[in-house]
Order: sequence, then structure tokens, then C-alpha cells
Amino acid sequence: MSTELDRPTGAPNAYREQEASIDLSARMHPIPAEAPEQELLTLNMGPHHPATHGVLRLLVTLEGEVVRDLKPIIGYVHTGIEKTAEDKSYWKAIPVMERMDYLAYYFNAMAYCGAVETLLDLEVPKRAQYLRVIHLELNRIMSHLVWLGTSALDLGAISMFWYCFRDREKILDLFEYSSGQRMHTRYIQVGGVIDDLPAGFDAKLRTFLDDMPTRVDQYLDLLNRNEIALQRLRNVCPLDEATLLSLGVTGPLLRAAGNPWDLRKAMPYSSYEDFEFAIPVGRKGDNYDRFAVRCAEMKESVRIIRQALDGLPEGPWITEDRKVALPPRHELATSMEALIHHFKLVTEGYRVPPGEVYYPIEGPRGEYAVFIRSDGSSKPARVHMRDPSFVNLQATAPMTKDAYIADLIATLAMLDPVLGGIDR
Amino acid sequence: MAWPPSPDELIVVDAPEPGGAGGLYRAFGETLRGLKTTFARVVEGPTTIQYPEEKVPVYPRFRGRHRLHRFEDTGLEKCVGCSLCAAACPADCIRVVAAENTPEHRVSAGERYAAVYEINLSRCIFCGYCEVACPFDAITMGHDYEMSDYNRSDLIFTKEMLLQEPFERTPLRAEGE
Repeated sequence: MSTELDRPTGAPNAYREQEASIDLSARMHPIPAEAPEQELLTLNMGPHHPATHGVLRLLVTLEGEVVRDLKPIIGYVHTGIEKTAEDKSYWKAIPVMERMDYLAYYFNAMAYCGAVETLLDLEVPKRAQYLRVIHLELNRIMSHLVWLGTSALDLGAISMFWYCFRDREKILDLFEYSSGQRMHTRYIQVGGVIDDLPAGFDAKLRTFLDDMPTRVDQYLDLLNRNEIALQRLRNVCPLDEATLLSLGVTGPLLRAAGNPWDLRKAMPYSSYEDFEFAIPVGRKGDNYDRFAVRCAEMKESVRIIRQALDGLPEGPWITEDRKVALPPRHELATSMEALIHHFKLVTEGYRVPPGEVYYPIEGPRGEYAVFIRSDGSSKPARVHMRDPSFVNLQATAPMTKDAYIADLIATLAMLDPVLGGIDR
Repeated sequence: MAWPPSPDELIVVDAPEPGGAGGLYRAFGETLRGLKTTFARVVEGPTTIQYPEEKVPVYPRFRGRHRLHRFEDTGLEKCVGCSLCAAACPADCIRVVAAENTPEHRVSAGERYAAVYEINLSRCIFCGYCEVACPFDAITMGHDYEMSDYNRSDLIFTKEMLLQEPFERTPLRAEGE
């Protein structure tokens, strides 16, 4: 003990003293002078809490029932996907990248493949672009259905959960039909999509498209004008457009505040300029607008899918550039050249010219974007995903400042964070 | 496409303020409408599937447990131990050790065969890249998805296990069904 004290006043001791002299609790939660008897309660919400929609830990400072301060603490499902992708060839990284935001796997794959295609300067066939749009929009509806079901559950409307998951099941069924898996389908590939639509898919999808708008109307019948839902959502936790923009918030949250920013229209990719659809916007930026904007988006997605299905052009579904896309299977038995390309692409992969690219797309939660830096080899030197859930989570604290804790739950639900995307 | 979008390209969502006289109406009228919606679903019947007694048939493209194949006429294995599946696997769950075929001991149709072929199904992410990579259609994704086990080591499937006809546990849909 004495040796500890006898130490010369060097760096380590001075640091400890300085550290001990700072009263962090007072700095974090200043108690107003006029009400010194008011006690603040710091409480951990999560990480294992059903209302946090994943493994999110919220450090909330409460004054009675009112939230005074909130700190989201993340990292509980960190999987190191970006680092893993650096160790895989571009082709092999697609299933890895898909697993970030587990409700928007088509978007993850689309952003990644779009970025690689930009670096390769690759032309994607029109049919592939349309097939991508069909699946992206189905994925958007599916993601919104999960959001609606779980959010309504947080508000106490349990039956919504069953209705939404019933319809989500139909979409997952379609995914399994076309790509072989319900989740993480790796359908979108660099240069196109892995396979054409199977026989009978068209009819099945059309049945779903006929069904879906009435389903959304049913959800709205249950919630849209329900007085309890209105009391819980209208004028609750609004945030103005300027604050949202300064925080980098995109997607339905920003559109709810009245800014019609939608990358599908602002910077069209994958032939979105061919389709006619409207952008739902809100007026107040409160929880109701966030809810209504997403519900309206589901209907717009149905419109887009219908147009894409009607106008589906004939042609190849993946690029014919043999340096990038695998040769068709029937050629393997007949063409030596195809077999060599196949071996080369599977073992080493294609080389991507050096450069950097940032490729943003509009996902169900906002701007999904992949940044890739290529050093000219067959593996990406750096992959980064700009995940909207991560950026949007910043808005939780300003939104819920001085709100009731029950409204914090509702706001978090309307924020729709996906923790797999936040932690990556 | 023009940006910013024209007003007719926007849908503005709106809702009345809660409470007041309208709130009084909504407390009864809209609740009844909600109840009507709920009760109308009753006639649609349940959509629940009583798994495991009742199973959803999978689609032909479904990627379930892997299978290795033999030639039907000669009985020789299709796999020639080229390790292309192992090279394509993003999860690194396939292990192949190749050996030479001899006239006395012929296992596969090619020059070499897979002496060891193991798939660690607890690592597999069922992306199906092995099936895409295989130039001889020796490995395909089957339609078995009931693979849970009590022991992790039991999930390492050997060549013998993968070559066997799997139990018909999951029904398969026909194309276009």
C-alpha cells in the first residue's frame, strides 16, 4: 500500500487523481437547482427486453415516469461482417453481407452488388433489374409487416401481430419459390440475379398482389382511426425535419416529417425510373405519421411490383460477361473455355479495378449504402455498410426527451431499428 | 426523373386530433369497425399449420441438407474430389481430401475421388454455393430441413451419410404448384 503512495507524482498517479476528481454522475444528469429534492433514476432497459426489438440496451434516466435522458448502448450482436467480407472474394461476400440487416436481405445484397457493379462498370440486363425490383419491393413489404406487427404488439394490439405474420408468411413463401430460401436468399448476384422466375411464380405473386391492398386496408381499419391508437401515436414524440436531417436520419422517419427524400425517385437505380409510384409523406413528424407513412408505402410497393411484373422484359437475367458471371451449367459439359472460367471464378473470383465507390439505395428503414474500396485484387480491401438503423437510432434521444416511458416504447417501435444491422 | 417531386407524386397522410367529439365517436364507431374486421377474419378460417404433424411442402429450389450423388448405372460416385465446393463455401464448412482412383479400387468416375468428404452443418449457412460451384452435379441441396441434433459433433456429416438416401421427412412440391 505504501509503495502505491510513495510513487513520484508521475503520469499514472496524476491521471488517477484527475479521474477521481471528476464527478461524472453530476455531469451526466444535472439536477435542476429549483427542485433539488427531485431524484433521478437511472435504469437499464434491455439488452434483453422484448420492447427493444433485439439486443439493444437503453440507459434511461427517469424522473418519475418521464424520460430525461437516454443513451442507446449497442454492440451485443456484433458479428464483424465487414471484416469477414474483406477476407472473401467479391462473389463469396454476398451471402455474408446479406446477413447484416436480417429483415432487408435483398437490400443488403442489392447495395453490395450495385457497388461492385459500379466498380466493374458492368451493365445489368433489364430483366435482371426488373426481377430485382420485384424482390426488393416484396422485401420492403415483408419488413414493414414485421415492423407493423411488432410495433402494434408494443402498443397492446396483439392480433395485429398474427395478421401481419400471416401475410409475411406468403412473401417468405414466394422468396422460397424463386430463390430457394425464406431468408438470406442470395438471389441478387453481381451482374444480375441467380435464376429466372420459376414456372407458376407469376400467378402466385399476382394472387398475393390482389390480396395485399385489402390486407393493408384491414390493418388500417383496426388501427388508423382507433381512438386508443390515436391517443398513443398522434402528437407523440415529434421531431422536426431540420433536426432529423442534421442527425442523418433517412427513410420513413424523415418522410414522416414532410421531407419527401426517397432515393428511388431522387437517384433512381435498377430501373426505378420506369415505375410510377407516389411517396407518402407526413406533416408533423410524430409517431402517427411514421406509422401511416409506412402503411401507405406498402400499398405503393404493391403498385411497383405489379408494374414490374406486367412490364417484365424478356432476355437474360444475369450479365453475359463471362469474366464476372458464372457460365450457364449446360456449357460446363461441352465447352472447355466455360469450364476454365467456372474454375477461375469459383476459386479466385474476378478482379475488380482499384477504386472507391459508395452505392446508396432506398431500403425499408432508409438509406442502405455500401462503400467498397478495391485495391485491384479479387477481395475487397474495405467494405462498409451504411446501415439506416444505426444512423436512425441517434434520433431516439432527441425524440423521447421529456416523454413518458410508455411513449418511449412506442417511439422505439416506430423507429424500427434492426439490431443485426446496427451492430453488423 | 425530376427532383423535387411534384405534389401529385406525394401522398400526404393525416389524422384527426385525438379526443373531443370526434374522439367520442371513434371510441365507439371505430372500435366497432375494428371488431368487424376481426370477426370477418373468423370466417376465413385458421392459417396455422400444426407442425410437426403437418408440414409445409418445400419448393423444388429449396436449399436443405446437402446430398452427394452416384451415377445410377455404374454406382460410381459423381464427386471427383476437386474441392471446388470447399473453395466456394463462404462459411468454410466443407472439408475434402482427395485420393487417386486405382483399377482395383475405383470409387468415382474421374481420376480422383474424395477420400474424405465432410460438411459441418453447424457452420453451414445454406447459401447453396457448393451446388452452384460443383461442375459435375455431385453435390446438390436436398429438401430436408429437420436437422437438429443433441450433439455438435453429430452435425458433421461424412461422405457416407451424405451419399445415403435421406429419410423422406419433408414433402416436396411439384414445379408450378
